[in-house]
Amino acid sequence: MRTLVAGATAIAATLAVQPFLRATAPDFPPLSSLPSTPYSLQDAALVSCGLRTVAADLAWMQLLQYSAGGLPDMPDRPGRPYDHVKDLALRVSRLDPSFHRSYLFAAGILAWFKNVDRPDEAVEVLQEGLRRDPGQKSYAMYIAAIAYKKKGDVSKMTAILEATLDDPHTPVEIKTILANLYKSRGDFEAALRVWRAILDDNTASREWPRARLQIAEIKNLESPGRGQ
Amino acid sequence: MGTIKAVFTYTFREHVRHKVWLSSALFGLVLIMGGMIVSALAAEERGRILLDLGLAANETIALISIVFLTVHLILQEIETRAVFLILTHPVVRWHYLLGRFLGTLAAVSVGLAAMGIIHWGLLHALGWGGEGSYLVAWLCSFGKVAVMGALALLLSLALTSEAAAMSFSSFFWILGHFTGEIRFVAEKSGSPLMRSVLLAFLNIAPDFAHFDYRNAWHIGTIDPHWALAATAYAVAYAGACFILSVQVFEQKEF
Repeated sequence: MRTLVAGATAIAATLAVQPFLRATAPDFPPLSSLPSTPYSLQDAALVSCGLRTVAADLAWMQLLQYSAGGLPDMPDRPGRPYDHVKDLALRVSRLDPSFHRSYLFAAGILAWFKNVDRPDEAVEVLQEGLRRDPGQKSYAMYIAAIAYKKKGDVSKMTAILEATLDDPHTPVEIKTILANLYKSRGDFEAALRVWRAILDDNTASREWPRARLQIAEIKNLESPGRGQ
Repeated sequence: MGTIKAVFTYTFREHVRHKVWLSSALFGLVLIMGGMIVSALAAEERGRILLDLGLAANETIALISIVFLTVHLILQEIETRAVFLILTHPVVRWHYLLGRFLGTLAAVSVGLAAMGIIHWGLLHALGWGGEGSYLVAWLCSFGKVAVMGALALLLSLALTSEAAAMSFSSFFWILGHFTGEIRFVAEKSGSPLMRSVLLAFLNIAPDFAHFDYRNAWHIGTIDPHWALAATAYAVAYAGACFILSVQVFEQKEF
């Protein structure tokens, strides 16, 4: 009898604590909010085993793979380069809403990559970041930079992008975009500074060969013959 | 108290002799292999992925260990009739059960701690300084392992079949991580019967979805009320499972 009373007390305590636990725990978006992709089963399987962050990490790697050359399961429609970037980025962020780099990476591609130019989709991704990952000032800054881009005010846009370089989550793609913008506007000194910062960043090693080439090229443009 | 200590000590020694610590070696291998893949595929997020992969591997290996060991714990002693020998001594049944459970939990915790130290050391050797608390993540994994251990003990005694107990333990593990989704479906459901069934499942399954600092690490600071609620929940749920196990065990005739 004593055991049964103790058991009932423990069960009652469990049921009493559960609402507090739910109310104070961070909430994640439900699986049904994930965009439909060929990897939905992979996501559901990992989340159901309690491996939500691992699912987000894998989704991030698949986003990188897609951006680097495409995924065989997700071909682009003709004339729509990086067609699935938005869906893949939203997949990462709905698995782990705090994956800051995913929002910024996708927005960088959608807003500034050559032949992509889909700033509205970039803004949608960033607005999702503002909603689900509050406290990151870069999202609002990117939205402002995109607004200036749409207005054609390149100097204000570059000023805002420059300010985001302090954020450690700024993807290297944004840095290369900024360096190229400076170069195209003839501000070689600023372009060199950004490329050198990329060379100093150990996590940006995949852009090092390009940075070295660009530094030599810009030096050559500054004073022909010196960079060779 | 003396009986609990004696049973605890022999259970702990038994597990150590059975080389539970080998799980740490397996963990190290998983981590190093995972790290190699990570460094090639996600340079900018290397630290984050190493952290997530390590914590997940740590918890998964500890979970497999606790379920496997706990399910065997009493059933094997019943099968080999060793339990008769023990219970002929002046040993209260719940003391025996508590000693066995705590001994197993301690052995798995030592493995969990060893894995945590390897992982933490690797992260720091690579110069990764995270913003979250590794200790809180480790304690949450320990809490989940304790809850799963108590649940596996109850299932093994109630079902008296190792295979069924392991299957049901895995089922509850998955269900526990799906509580958010189940609640979502229950809220959307138009049928009051379906909603009641789903809510009943929600209350029976351990609520791991809201108990998981590991998955919420990158979100930022934790609410101290949550830490308190999570501790109380783990103690209450594991306690309820253990008390029910005692009830089932006391009704067995040896």
